[in-house]
Amino acid sequence: MVKVVEIADMKWAVGNGNVLITYALGSCIGVVLYDPVEMVGAMLHSMLPLSRSDPDKARKNPYMYTDIGVELLLRKVFDLGATRKNLVAKVAGGANLLDDKRFFRIGEKNYMVVRKILWKNNILISGEDVGGSKPRTMVLDMSTWRVTIRSGEKEYEI
Amino acid sequence: MSKRDEILSKLDVIPSLPSVVMEIYRQVQNPDVDFGKLSEMINYEPGLAANVLKLANSAYFGFRKQVDDVRIAVARLGTKRIAELVMTVALSPMMERGVKGYDLPPGKLWEHSVTTAVGAEKLAEVLEVPRPDYTFTAGILHDVGKIVLGNFVGVDVEEIVNYAYEKQVPFNVAERELLGIDHAEAGGLLLRNWGIPEHLVEVVMGHHEPEKYNGDNVVLSLVHIADTISLISGFGIGLDGLFYKPNSDVLKKYRLTSRMVERVASYMVEKLEELKKVMFS
Repeated sequence: MVKVVEIADMKWAVGNGNVLITYALGSCIGVVLYDPVEMVGAMLHSMLPLSRSDPDKARKNPYMYTDIGVELLLRKVFDLGATRKNLVAKVAGGANLLDDKRFFRIGEKNYMVVRKILWKNNILISGEDVGGSKPRTMVLDMSTWRVTIRSGEKEYEI
Repeated sequence: MSKRDEILSKLDVIPSLPSVVMEIYRQVQNPDVDFGKLSEMINYEPGLAANVLKLANSAYFGFRKQVDDVRIAVARLGTKRIAELVMTVALSPMMERGVKGYDLPPGKLWEHSVTTAVGAEKLAEVLEVPRPDYTFTAGILHDVGKIVLGNFVGVDVEEIVNYAYEKQVPFNVAERELLGIDHAEAGGLLLRNWGIPEHLVEVVMGHHEPEKYNGDNVVLSLVHIADTISLISGFGIGLDGLFYKPNSDVLKKYRLTSRMVERVASYMVEKLEELKKVMFS
């Protein structure tokens, strides 16, 4: 089964053969956590770095925010039976506008928040494709346990 | 024939909006427009009337009480607002299709245009600047040139992206260098061909380079910023990705902060859901 993770969304799957995919990562960040032994995986596509910028909205739509989103993502994979020793974390997106030194930088901040929260939870990122200005689609294939990035005509594994 | 001339020659073969839509748009430019006559023109096209009512009853444009009569909708929302709904309804089928060259699947350009439109209106509120009454329409129209270049000309966007990447120039600059025209200008010229008022043509043409226009054009600034926020949020992000350069003078002038950007971005998510349901369910 193919599950599409929309903008400000999280999806998960259990068992061999599922696919999690998210399109149109710009400054948004895509985080995928999976355990190939227990065969569980979950993917987040969040937009904005910190939920404290609007706690009300964060209650209504927690996956919009990277800080809460990553916490919920972690909780979800562990609830589904993932174990810490098998857990794999990969990250994509966090792109920035050209010459964006001051005003937006949301992509950069999103990536920093992901790293910080995973670090706090003792999880290292084992593959990533972040920054730059290109659009990205991220796919977790739960039969091969490969994470691939598509950008234009290019496709590669991270 | 240069590439530019070839593209310009295509503008004439792109079907225009239905004439009744253009006529409605012309009518509302007149301050003495007759409500009754305007309602009649909308009612004359059953599909248009039904969709205008759907939008008029959405929470975004909203009434507290449901309205099922076009005349009442016109009286309550005002003629300018109604014209914006008419334009949105009329353009939606064209915007809804995928844009081949730009790698935008069906629905994505529509999402980008609608989020830019609602974002531009929200931005006016957040920045506390008065919002001219064609802000929404300008947002809806701003990227129409991508349809021209992507679907009618079938340009090789991959090549343009590679050029932008290698030279580290904005995508619209790369378009101009390789095609002799960018999607902003192509869109503006198409709308001028259709008879859309010049103040809208100007916003469409300048949406990536507001500095090209002298004087204070509030809508141009609002659309420029809202377009940028919609793109970084991933709405209708195509092959061109984030290869754009926001104008720092505009951002400074309006004292845009990252907090404001985040407010507008989250507002886009909410309103898009709402309007999608209204239009496509």
